[in-house]
Amino acid sequence: MNDRMERLKADAAQITVSRKPSRDGLWQTLGAVAMGAGVVMAFVAYQLSLGKSDPRDISSLGILAVSMLALAVVGAAVFLRYSLARFLRFWLLRQLVEDQAHIDRLVTALHNGDGAPAADETLT
Amino acid sequence: MSEPALELCRVHAAYGGIEVLHGIDLVVPEGAVVALLGANGAGKSTAVKVAAGLLAPTAGSVRVAGHDVTGAAAHDLARIGVCTIPEGRGVFANLTVRENLWMATQVAGVTGGLSGVEATAFERFPLLGERRTQLAGTLSGGEQQMLALARALVTDPAVLLLDELSMGLAPIVVQRLYEIVAQVAREGISILVVEQFAQAVLGIADRAAIMVNGEITRAGPPSALGSELSSAYLGG
Repeated sequence: MNDRMERLKADAAQITVSRKPSRDGLWQTLGAVAMGAGVVMAFVAYQLSLGKSDPRDISSLGILAVSMLALAVVGAAVFLRYSLARFLRFWLLRQLVEDQAHIDRLVTALHNGDGAPAADETLT
Repeated sequence: MSEPALELCRVHAAYGGIEVLHGIDLVVPEGAVVALLGANGAGKSTAVKVAAGLLAPTAGSVRVAGHDVTGAAAHDLARIGVCTIPEGRGVFANLTVRENLWMATQVAGVTGGLSGVEATAFERFPLLGERRTQLAGTLSGGEQQMLALARALVTDPAVLLLDELSMGLAPIVVQRLYEIVAQVAREGISILVVEQFAQAVLGIADRAAIMVNGEITRAGPPSALGSELSSAYLGG
């Protein structure tokens, strides 16, 4: 076994593989649920506070409503983070592919413009 | 007997709901050049993606030097020495030759700094030395392939996966590139070459496998595959 293989064997033994499935979808769902539940609960707390006369009850429900709005904001942030990440990965990949295609067209046009052959030249 | 450098065991792979690999077995022995041949759409590039960690198999296992690395991330496999040159070269078109090589030095374990890396790369590929400040996207196809090879080799890989080395290149360029691959193989690097054009690679391969519709129909020494090759490409 040569040195490369010995090194490869040692490094491969150290590699750790995560067998857990990606949790992006789960976090996306949790974020959406928290966002929806937060808005609904805030509205319900507000409506309940309208029927109260005791200032302490009104304050409590007001605090609950604000807390639920905060939950909605956090849920929205989580949802955006996990849905945008996947979208942005594909967007970046597309940008790279389009940039490469654009440069290929420019190079071809330059070669054709000065009369040099566009086909691949020989190596020396 | 030493462990194979790379092994795919009963690997199934799919894109969404469409299965592309149907239980393939592929072995790359230590220090050998193995050619994976087949017509366009046979599943060769998918097999490379599975081996490189770019696509997780739906069933089966990937083993590197005897260790199961199924599902390992591509960057982890690259770090331990499984290096892939993808179809289309994969050079950074808007970076210069120097900058592309610099990217390789960012891989953990690459020593010698950029000057050391350049010296190694330009010794093997003098043509790249002449074009070190040229944008990679303006190089010819053959020069881009040399740059991709140089960038891979500076990481001192143990396993090299080459996907369609000859794509879009003139025959004489392909011949020169495969001379370089043969030279690299003599240094002890295990190589899996995926090729559509069998004649280009059979001259340097120790073993070959023919892939048809996501299955490996035959594997063995290149000399034993003659008639099977034509039926794999032409049908019947």
